[in-house]
Amino acid sequence: MSVYKHSYRAYSGRVTPLWSRVLVLARYGLAEAWSSKITIALFTLSLIPFLVFLFGIYLANYPIARALIARGGPAGALEVGPAFFLKVLQSQCWIALVLTAWIAPRLITFDLADNSLPILLSHPISRFGYVFGKFIALFASLSVVTWIPGLLLFIYQSYTSPAPWVGKNLHIAVGILVGALIWTALVSLLGLALSSWVKWRVVATGIIFAAVFVPAGVGGIISAILRTKWGLLLNLPVMMTELWQRLLGAPDELSNISLPTTAIVAVLALSCLIFVAMLNARIRAREVVRG
Amino acid sequence: MGVIDLDGLTVRLGGRTVLDGLIGNLQGQAIGLLGPNGAGKSTLINTLLGFHSPAQGTARVFGLDAHRDRAQIRQRIGYMPENDSFIGNMSGVRFVRYMAELSGLPPSEALERAHEALFYVGLGEVRYRKVESYSLGMKQLVKLAQALAHGPSLLILDEPTNGLDPMARLRMIQVIKEIRQEGSIRLLISSHLLRDIDETCDEVLILKNGRIAALSNIEHERRSNRNFLELETIGATDQFSNSIRNLGAECASFPGGRIKLVMPDNIAVRDLYVIAAEQGVQIRRMNLRRDSLEDIFLRAMVDMPPPNHNPEAQPAHVSL
Repeated sequence: MSVYKHSYRAYSGRVTPLWSRVLVLARYGLAEAWSSKITIALFTLSLIPFLVFLFGIYLANYPIARALIARGGPAGALEVGPAFFLKVLQSQCWIALVLTAWIAPRLITFDLADNSLPILLSHPISRFGYVFGKFIALFASLSVVTWIPGLLLFIYQSYTSPAPWVGKNLHIAVGILVGALIWTALVSLLGLALSSWVKWRVVATGIIFAAVFVPAGVGGIISAILRTKWGLLLNLPVMMTELWQRLLGAPDELSNISLPTTAIVAVLALSCLIFVAMLNARIRAREVVRG
Repeated sequence: MGVIDLDGLTVRLGGRTVLDGLIGNLQGQAIGLLGPNGAGKSTLINTLLGFHSPAQGTARVFGLDAHRDRAQIRQRIGYMPENDSFIGNMSGVRFVRYMAELSGLPPSEALERAHEALFYVGLGEVRYRKVESYSLGMKQLVKLAQALAHGPSLLILDEPTNGLDPMARLRMIQVIKEIRQEGSIRLLISSHLLRDIDETCDEVLILKNGRIAALSNIEHERRSNRNFLELETIGATDQFSNSIRNLGAECASFPGGRIKLVMPDNIAVRDLYVIAAEQGVQIRRMNLRRDSLEDIFLRAMVDMPPPNHNPEAQPAHVSL
């Protein structure tokens, strides 16, 4: 083909490897996600707690500030340790949920609303490749507000604190990374799965929040009525807080409702499987043209 | 090796046999896929694209197994679905580029080919507009552009003129003819409109109830009937008929001066006029009779043996 001749010519150039087509989906997904001003606004908002924590680390390692606070403030107010990073993880991960509720529907719902799956999947890309590409786009977007700022704060604390601090607290970095990765993967799958079942973006956003908080309420009711702690297995915020505490080695904030780690991991794994099954069912149903 | 080889292809969906033992070797440059609603056209296309796995038999595209080698096949296929299928909030050029990249073109080449493809189908001036703002005809054309951009070996067009106004239809037919004449792309065109297939294809596969009702080379059919003539004459009709027979033509005369003949290749129509002039016969009417695609289609529909009355064997109604 030629623009000025308006005639067709066959393509005989280089072709990218099959595995890299997933990255095409991821790249276009990222572009779609970040083309929205609201995404930029949410990301900017996510920087506020990060800057507050950064300032906290600065103060904690600034002798004059420490001396002033030690004189008038509560003991341990400027201590940077597992509890501090638990707060970092909690704040950043909940911002990530808000970001998921906005971005995930943009990645999937547009494709469903315009019935573009038959045309997308007629290219050399599988259902798994399609979902994986979208997952990468969402996961990468959420990483910017979860484990990346968490590790940056850890690195800054390592840089400003005396040398033994890093050696003693290396498990915190691992905890931040693992805890944030679990959350990011979970909410990415949750967001994609629920978005794939809803045609309207606004509704999908609402349903993502509802999927987190409605079961939490139901779990609370079950726990209250049956006088058991197992209802909390439906409470994602509580489960994740417990998991993060254990990963970071932070003091147990919810000691009266301790859930076994294996039960938490099993519920999270089961949730992920359900989300994958939902995605598979939905995309399989929409991959071919049906009259 | 044909473009598409069907070897006892049987596809079952939801417990129903939608395609029932299709056997055929499609070799045409442009293959038409015809059939009434529920005949299995969409299912056949989806099977060739690797979306459905055969219950029995195989389908091969360029010698590659349609299910096992679907990634390689999709690499070589451009597919234009019948229904609206696009990403509405993308500009035309971005959408086509995206699809070209998914087919394996590097980003810069994909962008270049996207511009070229859009100009080629006639959307050059609107390529920066969002696809959702396109008219129905433009949406059909942008689907064609994305199917062409990566330079496929086989272009599958599912109802390409669906919903188009006469001018847009003519434009689409013209583009399809140009692609066919260019020669590097084979075409598989599914349509309800016999005229579209007649104008663009040289081979036709007619499906009915999930089975092949006819597989014929349209060009060959046309050639075989090219010299079938019907005449209406006034004058010495019998003598005129005998003279034609003496030339070597098969000829039959009927009351009222009507003559039907099949002329061999060595006789031209002009020879008939010469004989008529010599014998004082007036040729009042001459009708060159040829089998149209409609004849082939109707014959296929009538000649097809009745479908198996076993309800389990009834094809599903998968309409296009």
